[in-house]
Amino acid sequence: MNPRKDLITIDSLSDEDIHTILESTSAMKDIFTKSVKKVPALKGKSVLTLFYEPSTRTRSSFEVAAHRLSADVTTFTVSTSSVVKGESVHDTIDTLMSMKMDYIIVRHKNSGIPAVIARHCKAAVINAGDGAHAHPSQAFLDAFTIKEKYGDIAGRRVVIIGDILHSRVARSTSTILQRLGAKVAYMGPGPLVPLQQHTGIPRFTCWDQVFDWKPDVIYLLRVQNERIDFPFFPAADYHAAFGVTEERLRRIDDLNLSIMHPGPVNRGVEICDSAMDYRNTLINNQVENGIAARMSILYHLTPQTQCHD
Amino acid sequence: MTNTYITNATWALTGARIDLRMGHGEEIQVEDFDGIPLPGVNGIAPAGEMQVPSGARTIDATGKLVLPALFDLHTSINLEGHSKRESIYRAGQAANHGGVWGMLVMPSRGFVFDNAATLDSFDDAVSQRSFATMVPAGCISEKMEGTQQAPYNTLAARGVTILSDGGKMPESLLMLHRAMKYAAEMGLTFAIRGDVPALTRNTCIHPGTTSYKLGLHGSPACAEEIGIETLVRLAKDTGVRLHIQTVSTAEGVAIIRRAKADGMQNITAEVALHHLLYTHENVGDYDTTFKTLPPLRDRADCEALLAGLKDGTIDCIVTDHTPCLPFAKKQDFISAPQGMVGLDTFLPAIYTYLIKPGMLSWAEVIRACCTAPMAIVNPYDREEDVPVAAPLLLFSPDEEYIVTPDSLCCGTLNSPLLGSSLCGTVTLPIN
Repeated sequence: MNPRKDLITIDSLSDEDIHTILESTSAMKDIFTKSVKKVPALKGKSVLTLFYEPSTRTRSSFEVAAHRLSADVTTFTVSTSSVVKGESVHDTIDTLMSMKMDYIIVRHKNSGIPAVIARHCKAAVINAGDGAHAHPSQAFLDAFTIKEKYGDIAGRRVVIIGDILHSRVARSTSTILQRLGAKVAYMGPGPLVPLQQHTGIPRFTCWDQVFDWKPDVIYLLRVQNERIDFPFFPAADYHAAFGVTEERLRRIDDLNLSIMHPGPVNRGVEICDSAMDYRNTLINNQVENGIAARMSILYHLTPQTQCHD
Repeated sequence: MTNTYITNATWALTGARIDLRMGHGEEIQVEDFDGIPLPGVNGIAPAGEMQVPSGARTIDATGKLVLPALFDLHTSINLEGHSKRESIYRAGQAANHGGVWGMLVMPSRGFVFDNAATLDSFDDAVSQRSFATMVPAGCISEKMEGTQQAPYNTLAARGVTILSDGGKMPESLLMLHRAMKYAAEMGLTFAIRGDVPALTRNTCIHPGTTSYKLGLHGSPACAEEIGIETLVRLAKDTGVRLHIQTVSTAEGVAIIRRAKADGMQNITAEVALHHLLYTHENVGDYDTTFKTLPPLRDRADCEALLAGLKDGTIDCIVTDHTPCLPFAKKQDFISAPQGMVGLDTFLPAIYTYLIKPGMLSWAEVIRACCTAPMAIVNPYDREEDVPVAAPLLLFSPDEEYIVTPDSLCCGTLNSPLLGSSLCGTVTLPIN
């Protein structure tokens, strides 16, 4: 893999980059099985997590990943209220540059912010989710989880269900899966599923179409109420129309399909209780693989901070 | 009285080769040529036939075009963080480079034309600092807040003929309907962009492949179209003269075409040059230069807008010149302000991208950028008590230049043409 400073989108990666990061995710996961869970790969390097949006699992996953590579981790807490329109991203970048950070892991509600930071900063910038744009580390952990389950991703069929419009996970995960030869479809309430002519991805609006398509993996998304200023559909309809109900779970079980979800899960909305304990639910595998994928990403990026010292 | 002779020029409208005698003094004749008044010209002859006295000041215009300078019906001049005088100075200088002699200045932050004092101080600053004629558009509502009508009678007494809230469609149709009824009696024109604010709030791009890829909220074309249809109905009911600003969608053109076919003669419309040239795909990877209001749309929309311009549905091409400070445009796409600058490059860009490839003729451009906008604004010299006519400019179509930060006079760099090579340089004024 050629030296790469940042990870902003899956689109910006070469096929070789994708394969390299995926392959060493497996090696990183092997580290967990040893009694000493830490390697000195990033010893002496500093990692900053800069989350302008609330996050529990992604931030802690990145922090654990950085710790396991022996990096020093600093958490920069930014309350969302301080991010007002017109506030200078450049001032933030200047501050970060002065701190001589090697890696900056950033999440922001506005699509495109990590790219702005990356352009003006010598540190390696990892996009941990920006608006509805991209969430590349999630894409890697999803691809790795499917690979782990099925051995190969090429030819697998994955249907992503829910609020596609506001989902950076849908965009990044569909991109990486297609790059690796999988087929992807979208399903959800009409106003929340972009048109096929805009996405190039088949678009369904009911479960019958989903089952007819013969998927291997049912990938559920949360309805992101925090991004919705005015209702797109009657919320009371969701579980019955688009969720995994008990009845649909039986059918999923009969067909031996897998269920994935990026979390956090809203039980009783996109997924019924018993589906959480279903034998092919891979949600906990995703969390575990998330640490390995993020270790691999940190390991393969090359900050340009050395010459700055 | 001294005369300047322009020899061997090509009259852009028809391609005729002519010599011109331009006088500077009291005996100036305004001649009509192909229906276009030529202020300052006191003699025209076919090329080579004009007697040029020896020693007379002569400009050899071989290979150059002569045409009336352009009037831009949609300019915002406010430079955030700079004085009003600086804003005026920069816009005037930029205009002359782009072949624009006069402009309708939209109310904006810094230039809230809702009272006599602001208009007076603006006119005063323009007369001292501007290279170009600047006609202020009065506000539709006080402070452009959309609630209370501005004092139209006071504004009209200061020479205001056009009212606009600077690209904002008032949310209250009650306010607008009553404002139109009142202003119609005074012969005022409303310049408004079709929009339904509730449908376009928090949007920043055309919904399509780019908005999906970048995860940005799309501004639906139907919002503009519902807005235009609403404005047309209001104009029909009130009889007010309506100028529809920055039409950007194919269906918007169709609505205006139908209204004109229905016999509504009180409607005119404009398209911004960037909506003819660019699409949402130019946004690429969050290029904030291409963030505009309304957003850049699909190729099919560009084609429909051009067709509308050619068949007279759209009357004018405008710059929608909006200076944005580099700092503001360096923000992320959602936070960055909308708008691009266009005055500096207006005529060269029109020539390079529309005339040279054969998409528009010089006659169509002169209509869309000079005679039509001037008929809408009717610029008037209140001191001399005469209508103002466009001065002439010389255009050298074979001179190429590259747009650089140094070549932009407008004071900001948010031009989509930075780094591009344009054909044609402007001499304005001719002297």
